Amino acid sequence: MENLHIEATKYTPEINLDAEKGIIDIRGKSYPENTFEFYEPMMEWVKKYFECCAKDETIVNMEIIYFNSSSSKLFFDFFDLLDEVKDEHKVVVNWIYDEENESAEEAGEDFIEDFEDLDIRLVPKQQD
Amino acid sequence: MHDLTNLEKALNDDGIVFLTYGGIFTQSLIVGMTEALEKETEQDLSIKTAGNIFTIFIELSQNMMNYSKKVEKEGFDPKGLIIVGKKKLDDVDMYYILSRNIIDAKDKDKIEPKLKQILSSTKDEIKKLYREARRSGKDTHSKGGGIGFYEIAKRCDKIEYEFIPLNDTKDRYYFIFVAYVKQHKK
Repeated sequence: MENLHIEATKYTPEINLDAEKGIIDIRGKSYPENTFEFYEPMMEWVKKYFECCAKDETIVNMEIIYFNSSSSKLFFDFFDLLDEVKDEHKVVVNWIYDEENESAEEAGEDFIEDFEDLDIRLVPKQQD
Repeated sequence: MHDLTNLEKALNDDGIVFLTYGGIFTQSLIVGMTEALEKETEQDLSIKTAGNIFTIFIELSQNMMNYSKKVEKEGFDPKGLIIVGKKKLDDVDMYYILSRNIIDAKDKDKIEPKLKQILSSTKDEIKKLYREARRSGKDTHSKGGGIGFYEIAKRCDKIEYEFIPLNDTKDRYYFIFVAYVKQHKK
């Protein structure tokens, strides 16, 4: 299965989907004009990955600086998808946030509460 | 030359950082304004306050963008206005994000109950409403409104809104919405 890389723009995150390493990486800002269209290739890739090619462990790294409400809904759908496959595949989600950014931390806590059985970990970002 | 004295005075009096009025709201305009806002706030605001301001600004301006796309087809100009400014409210330094546009009565009927509910709810209740709405998926795929107002309510310290009828038939209204965010300095 091919990897998928999407470059960051001023309003969309960098996305790295690595099938060999089992890594799903989403980093940056997220307020696309059409959120569902923007994330469609990623969602399709993730679905296919878990159908055919998932590694023993899949690591999801999400570091979202800020996002609009339709992105929030999209992330919910994304976690929902992970939630569905988690019994067959080991999935760990790292929700990475800047310690000064309480809203990002809170957003992570909300997802943890909404997906109790999914392994979502809050990871404070290392300061340079 | 154009005399801009009055305009400049009005901008200064209202502590306006920037505004955009009329025409078409596009994604690139919103991105440009968000960048300007980032520059404006990165100097002295905490990451949390700045992030809340961007999020509210993006939510309101994308609402407006989607709304103007929708009504453009009906051939009416919503005369969108967005202002970001600073002012004191009860002696507290606040940033405010104001949006105003023209909406029809049908949309007013959709927005108004939601805003009434928000104003009568605590922060914790709003967080709950937000998560329920996100979970149910209701409204969230539709553009305009959705969970956006809950998102704004979570992130600001005060909300004001008003619907002013444009004419006697009351089929169109000015919808004015203001969110205030306390200036937590670094």
